[in-house]
Amino acid sequence: MSTETLTDIAVRTEDVWKIYAQEPKDVEAVRGVSMEIHEGDFMTMAGPSGSGKTTLLNMLGGLTRPTRGRIWVRDLEITALSNKELARLRLESIGFVFQAFNLLPVLSALENAEFSLVLRGVPPEERHRRVRELFDEIGLEGLEDRKPGKLSGGQQQRVAVARAVVGQPTLVLADEPTANLDSHSSAALLDTMERLNREHGTTFLFSTHDPRVVERARRRVSLVDGQIESDER
Amino acid sequence: MKPRRDDRWIWWRLAWRNLWRNRRRTFITASALAFGYLAAVTIIGIWRGMLSEMIASGTDLVTGQLQIHAPDYYPERSMYTTLGGREGIDVDELVRLTRETPGIVAASPRVHGGGLVSSGSETVAGLFMGVDPDHEVEVTRLLESPAEGRAPRAGEREILIGRGMADRLGVEVGDEVVLVAPASDGSLGNDLYRVSGMFATGMVALDGSFGILPIGSLQELMAMPEEWIHEVAATVEDPFSAPAVGDSLAVALAARGLGYPVQPRPWTVFQAQLAEYASLAGAVNFIIVGIIFIMAVFGVANTMLLGTFERRREFAVVRALGTQPGMVALTVVYEGLILGVVALAVGVLISVPVLYWLHNYPPDLSRAFGDITMLGSVWRPVLRAEYSVDGPVVSAVALLITSILSALYPAYRAVKILPADALADL
Repeated sequence: MSTETLTDIAVRTEDVWKIYAQEPKDVEAVRGVSMEIHEGDFMTMAGPSGSGKTTLLNMLGGLTRPTRGRIWVRDLEITALSNKELARLRLESIGFVFQAFNLLPVLSALENAEFSLVLRGVPPEERHRRVRELFDEIGLEGLEDRKPGKLSGGQQQRVAVARAVVGQPTLVLADEPTANLDSHSSAALLDTMERLNREHGTTFLFSTHDPRVVERARRRVSLVDGQIESDER
Repeated sequence: MKPRRDDRWIWWRLAWRNLWRNRRRTFITASALAFGYLAAVTIIGIWRGMLSEMIASGTDLVTGQLQIHAPDYYPERSMYTTLGGREGIDVDELVRLTRETPGIVAASPRVHGGGLVSSGSETVAGLFMGVDPDHEVEVTRLLESPAEGRAPRAGEREILIGRGMADRLGVEVGDEVVLVAPASDGSLGNDLYRVSGMFATGMVALDGSFGILPIGSLQELMAMPEEWIHEVAATVEDPFSAPAVGDSLAVALAARGLGYPVQPRPWTVFQAQLAEYASLAGAVNFIIVGIIFIMAVFGVANTMLLGTFERRREFAVVRALGTQPGMVALTVVYEGLILGVVALAVGVLISVPVLYWLHNYPPDLSRAFGDITMLGSVWRPVLRAEYSVDGPVVSAVALLITSILSALYPAYRAVKILPADALADL
């Protein structure tokens, strides 16, 4: 157990397993992972395909439930929550950045970015102000009214990052965020997220096997066959 | 923090925009619903038109749509059971009060009798109806345009008979016939009457044994004072409202303090078979409209389900962002509802000119099928759509319910999407 106080710990897992029932043999995607993610961490979870990165990320974000083990986000045990409570947790405490951007194509960049604020009931003026400030900060000014189809891959991913961080979540989970980007866009995106981490203290956990991402991380966890192989700072 | 109420518009906005992502598909689906609406209102309109035509022809010939008698007139139909009893009534006053009742268009007094009609050596049994020719034409149409000759005139000893009776008696227009009928004083009334005209309805019983006389002439034959009448026949604005008009007429006449009891009988009582057929036709109508919209449910649900599968990833994303499952389902239902409203607007736009055309310029199929005799009425097969409020309203409600029902299963499927699986494209 860490010596830090509970409020310093963004996420904690205790002997988390995820087993998929399959014939002829069950698949153990995650095997007894216990770890702590601290507030302000900028960390990667690297590993080859099939090592359990995305599965672990989904469990940390409450998108899927572990077969056994327990997970806490701050001091809240999310493995004991109902589906509705998990949705509320994701809304208030977790931000997601997906490999395929996954913006809603019928909404503008601004509407995509403010989506979680809308769900939280933030008044329109307030959420527009917050998104515009963020857009200015990450180089999306002037693109507010564009639909995702009219944005480049890098711009779309920055909108996705804005959507993930605008609600000031406890943790941002980014699953292969640079996988669909060229090196220039990847570098710009990582700059953005690094700055958000540095200036706002946003905690980032990347699932990746992109060395450019791993290089930037201040903490690197390596996952092999569903188990933590190494944890370097 | 609870979402503010106005933030719910995001879901309507999403539903609206999602609907127009695939314009061609939305257009085709909305068109299917709109044409379903058109089919429903047209079928209801034409059925209602056909029923109105049947009811009109079944009641316009002889009976009228509402009859007022003494309460015990039926079933014996005694000549002595007149309105007001042996004292009789102020006929003009009763007819006037009846005409003033809302929903009633015209009213006319009548006397009924029966006896024999003879010419030379030929004699046939007949039913006689004494009418006020000037007012009867506003209630029924037998006097309106006889096949030969003209209607009998008030004050004249004339009779209008059916062509079948004329053939059996071997008489022509202008010939004289002898009428023999039981009189109220116990004697046997008999007198000569000139055949003023003939009617030919195509209904054998009516054409072969029915005669119409001026009311005074029949009263004279049957030794009845002019205050004695058996019936006031009336026609109403809407045949379907005849029972309700009858009820309000009874109340209105009672309130006037007539001093004698009356019993209004709508056509649904004295033309019970026709009324049953109208009810049956209404039920068939309902079933046809139901089938139209049930077929639409499957078509629209299939299309919406396709759209839901295409957007699995988007549903997963909004779920991942913290949207409650119920809200995802509601968005799909909103899409169905918006689709229904759009389809309804299109349906109304295309239905109005079609109904207008069918109401004012109905296709006449009588050349192909001829006139149809059915349930005591002669009916021309004209596809005339009747205007009504309930047809379009019921169809509109059915369309909106259809669009919502169509969205329920796709909404359920959207809720059942597992975000992690959908995001992994599983």
